[in-house]
Amino acid sequence: MSQSQGAAMARRAALALPLIAVAVLILGPLAIMATVSLWTKSGFSMKPDLSLDAYAAFLGGVRLDVFLRSLWVAASATVLMLAVAYPVAYLIATRVRADLVRTVLFLFSVPFLVNYILRTFAWADILGRGGPVSAGLQWLGLTGGAVDWLLYSQFSVYLGLVTAYMPFMVFPIWLSISGIDRRLHEASWMLGEGPLHTFLRVILPLSLPGVFAAAIFGFVGAFGEVAVSTILGGTGYQLLGNSIVSALDVINYPLAAAMSTFTVLIMGLFMLLWFRLFDLRLFLGKIMGRR
Amino acid sequence: MNRLARTPALISRRRLLGAGALFAGSALLPTGFATPARAEALSVTLADIGVGDPNGDWSRFTAETGNSVNLVAMGNAPSAVVNQLLAGGGQATFDIINIVGGMQKPLVEAGLISEIDTSKLPNWEKNSYISQYLAPGTPGFDFIGFDGKLYGVPTVLQADSFAYLPDQTGELDSYAALFDPRFRGFVALEDNYTTAGQKTALYLKSAGLAQIENPANLTPDELKAVIDFLIERKKEGQFRVLWSSFEQAVNLLVSGEVHVMDCWEPMVFAAAGQGVNVRYAAPKEGYLLWAMAAYLVNNPDRSPEQTEAAYALLNFMLSPWYGATITGLRGYLTNPAAAEFASANPDLFAADQAQRIADISKGVQDRYAVGGTWQNRWPTNVDLYEEEWQRFKAA
Repeated sequence: MSQSQGAAMARRAALALPLIAVAVLILGPLAIMATVSLWTKSGFSMKPDLSLDAYAAFLGGVRLDVFLRSLWVAASATVLMLAVAYPVAYLIATRVRADLVRTVLFLFSVPFLVNYILRTFAWADILGRGGPVSAGLQWLGLTGGAVDWLLYSQFSVYLGLVTAYMPFMVFPIWLSISGIDRRLHEASWMLGEGPLHTFLRVILPLSLPGVFAAAIFGFVGAFGEVAVSTILGGTGYQLLGNSIVSALDVINYPLAAAMSTFTVLIMGLFMLLWFRLFDLRLFLGKIMGRR
Repeated sequence: MNRLARTPALISRRRLLGAGALFAGSALLPTGFATPARAEALSVTLADIGVGDPNGDWSRFTAETGNSVNLVAMGNAPSAVVNQLLAGGGQATFDIINIVGGMQKPLVEAGLISEIDTSKLPNWEKNSYISQYLAPGTPGFDFIGFDGKLYGVPTVLQADSFAYLPDQTGELDSYAALFDPRFRGFVALEDNYTTAGQKTALYLKSAGLAQIENPANLTPDELKAVIDFLIERKKEGQFRVLWSSFEQAVNLLVSGEVHVMDCWEPMVFAAAGQGVNVRYAAPKEGYLLWAMAAYLVNNPDRSPEQTEAAYALLNFMLSPWYGATITGLRGYLTNPAAAEFASANPDLFAADQAQRIADISKGVQDRYAVGGTWQNRWPTNVDLYEEEWQRFKAA
């Protein structure tokens, strides 16, 4: 074997490693999960089988409603989060002094230094009937008594989701906006467009790859959420994650696996559509091209 | 949900430190326990849900047997037990698991626990609670036995009801309070069909609101009736929250977020410790009775010496000192001799501590005299229970 052939082999081997890692660590467990979803439960264990019973139990019962609710909650929370994250990212990219940008972005990462469960529990104290928000509203005379809807409600679940995942979304949007060539602003202005049209026709379209990347962060996080719905949801606000955990609690692994497999398939489909519609390489290219 | 978090601060830190110092001191004194000569000290691994730990003080056990205890944390949910024993390698490394009893059937069928030989437990015969509350042929036996055989050593007994804030609600003596429109929006239930679900079934049966044969093991139709009732109440806005952790439940009482709550008694102790006027109800319908059991893990590769050491620990867990300590720390009934032992040993238990142990023991015994329904952790239709509870939660 010549030296160049050896080098080529080594190169191939080095490139194959990540692929093998992906296959073993991601596809392998997914294959096991899909297999288990076809097995049948028997006491504390399972019997290998080719049964669709678990899928029938999932799709024929209340769990399908939970799945659809999770989709709706994740999608609507993502829209809300984008509505908050985009202006924040825009202001950081366009209005914050260059030497302060790092500090401001760092401030957005500070919440992550506190344990996520603790942060969620903190909301329960803040939003409770006797909590500071309710007391403040009463003090201002805006409400006659303690406020019920702040906690254990749709409001608290959405608030929990937004505060948990929105900060993640600021970063890709900021990257995207700050990567836009400033001369395009100037060109738009020189061609007679005002700030609103410049934003709508130049900035927004060019920042969309970052928005799509951010939407994935937000959607995937909110869809898989378990703690926010448990702690802030009140009377059993069920999201898909809660429902899967509940099945695991009675050792119903086939049902949990069926729900997970179905979800992975649907998510895979969404991702495929997403990548078809919006080319993420645009966004990645921007990051790679930046200094 | 599990009872993992049944570890409240039931005694003040100062008292605890004082007791700890006494316990530590007692280990240094010649206590009269002979230390058998052994070639090698063994370590018995005890997996526990947080209730059976005498604050790390196993010095008496070590003094008696020369062996030590390796305590590991374990979840109480069936999934946690199975995961830790099967997938987590617990079957090869754990000697004893101390969890809420009642799961012998699936544990035995999966070959995870061994039958108990009571002849190796000198303290077994001395424990009158076993024959009184857990005798074969009674529902209590389902917490330690299966198919006529013994698998669990009872370590804790308790009778659950619900908590209320008398300043807000007045005196309450029925589970009807959980569903009373007067308290609409100020009621919390545990997120658990084997506690909240079973208490609801007990109430519906007692009040004649549903045809229920046995609240502990509902038929599909009975279960549907119970869940339909809960969903109706939920839609009326009766429940504020389904709690799922110890701290969360205590906080609900302390903050006054709810006034009536289906919960465990140690939560009432913890909330009262924070100055809240809170009571644990004596419902006329009776209580939700349950027991913790220590099981010998089935490990064919365990040496006879190691099995002997595990039996010695099971026997120790039936001793008055261990019982008194766990009652004092956790607030549950443990051992018939616990109260007497605590008051007879003022060097180990301060007078107020001994009184507390006596009060708790008497309180739980009184409740057992009233009776109620034995909690069923693994009902016949367990999958349907889980699915129906999902229906309630998703409604």
